[in-house]
Amino acid sequence: MVIESAPDFETQDLLINVGPQHPSTHGVFRMILEVDGEIVKDLIPHIGYLHRGAEKLCENNDFRQGVGYMDRTEYLASHNAELSYVMAVEALAELEVPERAQWIRMILCELNRLSSHFMFLGAFGVDVGVFGTPFIYAWREREALIDLFEEISGDRMMYAYFRAGGLAWEVPGNFEERVREVLVSTRQGMKDFDNLLTRNEIFLARTKNVGIISAEDAIELGMSGPTLRASGVPLDIRKSEPYMYYDQIDFEVPIGTNGDVFDRYLVRLKEMEQSVSIIEQCLERLNDGPIMPERMPRMLRLPEGQEVYIRTEAPRGEYGIYLVSKGGNKPWRLKVRSACLSNLQALRKMSVGQYVADAIIILGSIDIVLSEVDR
Amino acid sequence: MTSDENVDTTNGEEASEIAVVDSLEDTIWPLINRVLSSVDVTPERGSIDLITQIPRSDIIRALQILKDNEEVQFNYLRCLTAVDNESEGVDVVYHLYSIPKNINLTVKVNLPVDDKTIGTATEVWEAANWLERETAEMFGITFNNHPDPRTLLMPEDMTDTFPLLKSHPFAEIEILQGELLGYDRENQGDDE
Amino acid sequence: MALTPTENTAVSATTETDVTTPSVPAPVISPDSPGIAPSEHPLEAPRLTPITPQPGKALYRQLLPGIMQVPADLLLAASRKSSLWPMTFGLACCAIEMIATYMAHYDLDRFGIVPWPSPRQSDVMIVAGTVTKKMAPAVKLLYEQMPNPKWVISMGACATNGGPYTRYDRVLQGVDKVIPVDVYVPGCPPRPEALIDSFLALQDQIMEERSVEGRS
Repeated sequence: MVIESAPDFETQDLLINVGPQHPSTHGVFRMILEVDGEIVKDLIPHIGYLHRGAEKLCENNDFRQGVGYMDRTEYLASHNAELSYVMAVEALAELEVPERAQWIRMILCELNRLSSHFMFLGAFGVDVGVFGTPFIYAWREREALIDLFEEISGDRMMYAYFRAGGLAWEVPGNFEERVREVLVSTRQGMKDFDNLLTRNEIFLARTKNVGIISAEDAIELGMSGPTLRASGVPLDIRKSEPYMYYDQIDFEVPIGTNGDVFDRYLVRLKEMEQSVSIIEQCLERLNDGPIMPERMPRMLRLPEGQEVYIRTEAPRGEYGIYLVSKGGNKPWRLKVRSACLSNLQALRKMSVGQYVADAIIILGSIDIVLSEVDR
Repeated sequence: MTSDENVDTTNGEEASEIAVVDSLEDTIWPLINRVLSSVDVTPERGSIDLITQIPRSDIIRALQILKDNEEVQFNYLRCLTAVDNESEGVDVVYHLYSIPKNINLTVKVNLPVDDKTIGTATEVWEAANWLERETAEMFGITFNNHPDPRTLLMPEDMTDTFPLLKSHPFAEIEILQGELLGYDRENQGDDE
Repeated sequence: MALTPTENTAVSATTETDVTTPSVPAPVISPDSPGIAPSEHPLEAPRLTPITPQPGKALYRQLLPGIMQVPADLLLAASRKSSLWPMTFGLACCAIEMIATYMAHYDLDRFGIVPWPSPRQSDVMIVAGTVTKKMAPAVKLLYEQMPNPKWVISMGACATNGGPYTRYDRVLQGVDKVIPVDVYVPGCPPRPEALIDSFLALQDQIMEERSVEGRS
């Protein structure tokens, strides 16, 4: 809605710097907004404030040490990040992962998807303006999940639990009961969020028809994950190129219709319900067995002249690892294809023409993690 | 590929080389060969996908054909990066995916060490915009006609070195206050 | 009534020294009536009793009991340490553990610590995460925007000396190269209990250096 002004009324566009330190930028992200009144005319993002050189440092380290850097690349969904890397090393070394390890990996990755989406719901609620309540709900659920991860791997955030070939050590004896316990409280948490936000009139007024991107533009810009599925494109790597045992599990992929901010929120909420059902199916199929292959070489030397590009479905999109090895026990080139970098390219297209307050919500709905954007 | 885990790789390499040329029929190579018949393409079998080498002069035309052709429709650029091979030059690598047909392809272009320029792929896919900016500042590659050739991740005053080249060294770990740490034996008597 | 030593002295003595019942009726207070001095007011006069001061004890403590005297710098230091407001400055993964410490499970609000987004109104800056050379000027600017007295907690291995990324030359090897740091917290990331411990250590430090010149 633009108010017509008198012909001789001169205005000037204002440059606002939403600087690297700002309570709503989800990390060190800087954008320069050119606004006319309250409407955004142009948006220039600046990234690179957290560029730590994980790709260069992994070239100096053994293949088994790279897991620690991959954890820290995506710190909210560490299991998914480790999974891509470990699958790449296994593909080049031609290691066969035992069945029990694969089921446990699937359960842990889906649990990590739940904890990452809880963090999104909390932070997104704060962006929209519900200051406090969604954030505290989210952390209550996250603490339950993090306690479970701490019992299994020993750390609250940087697990380093996956190894090339399987897992680091056996899960504790009460793994199944603990997972079922955690799922009970997770279901309650999802229902709380649903009651709080989904049919809330103010939330709907703020998020419907805001930040729309069409399916063709999204594919052209290389977006992936729930942000792409909210625009109506049914692309999920777990269904189109299944890895581990996802082809034996029955689940649906929620697709949005409009491509606006509300659809991105709803797609993630529905994905969490699907994750809970995947975990329950995996728990039924979990059997006994070893967690590492019998004949593991002591020093992992990979053949020369091999390269692989492994892609998995992380909570934020397609997390790919491109690994080139030229012999020896260190990678020659490790490239992390980050979903958040490709999704962030679309920010400008989604925000131009919207209000300033909506630009903040749109940034929150893409759900970026800066250390994945900058690596 | 062979499924033995601990086989000695030097023996297996010759055997797999002979197998490579014969066994490309079960990949998408016949389809790509037909589509890119006007371009000089060299195939190679990768771990999962097919890898093709295309010379630098034909690359943008080939990418445009791959995107527009009805049989392949590679409308999704997954990843764009580069690999430094020291004396053999720098390889620019494109990973392509076709959503309607669900097929993958890897395209590699070799650039000589002293002339690291190549055409830009933003004319074909808009997703290449930021990916090329990052590759340019990490390896020193120049993408001709790029709409926005600024640096992406580097600070503005450190743009003359390229971190991901093999010739760029790692930083030394600083030992802070090295001599002052520990007990200073010579000045022990001063305080008493 | 006159005091006469008769057989009725005991009865008359009690009625005369009975101070709770007034011998005159309470005066009517109206806007027109003149004021009464406190020493003549029937309700106030009995309370202003004269005392004889005793040596050895401070006069004000005998006149006004229930008052505590402390040095001014102890009072200032106690009030500053009990209400430290950190600026929300999470950079990387340590920020997630910092947020976990603010939340209900490991509550920091019980110590008076409330996260505050603006640097102009905060006391502590928790540098949580890796500081890169691109970000270092912004860190320095934010530190200079904070008013005195201010403290800095360097949280995590990356802010202490570069952490796991110390061999990359675009990473600042420790935030103490640009701003002065008071408390270092080791860990990658440090547990919430470690962050609470660092706040308690900072509180001890504030109490210890309360009378040091130069710490305004």
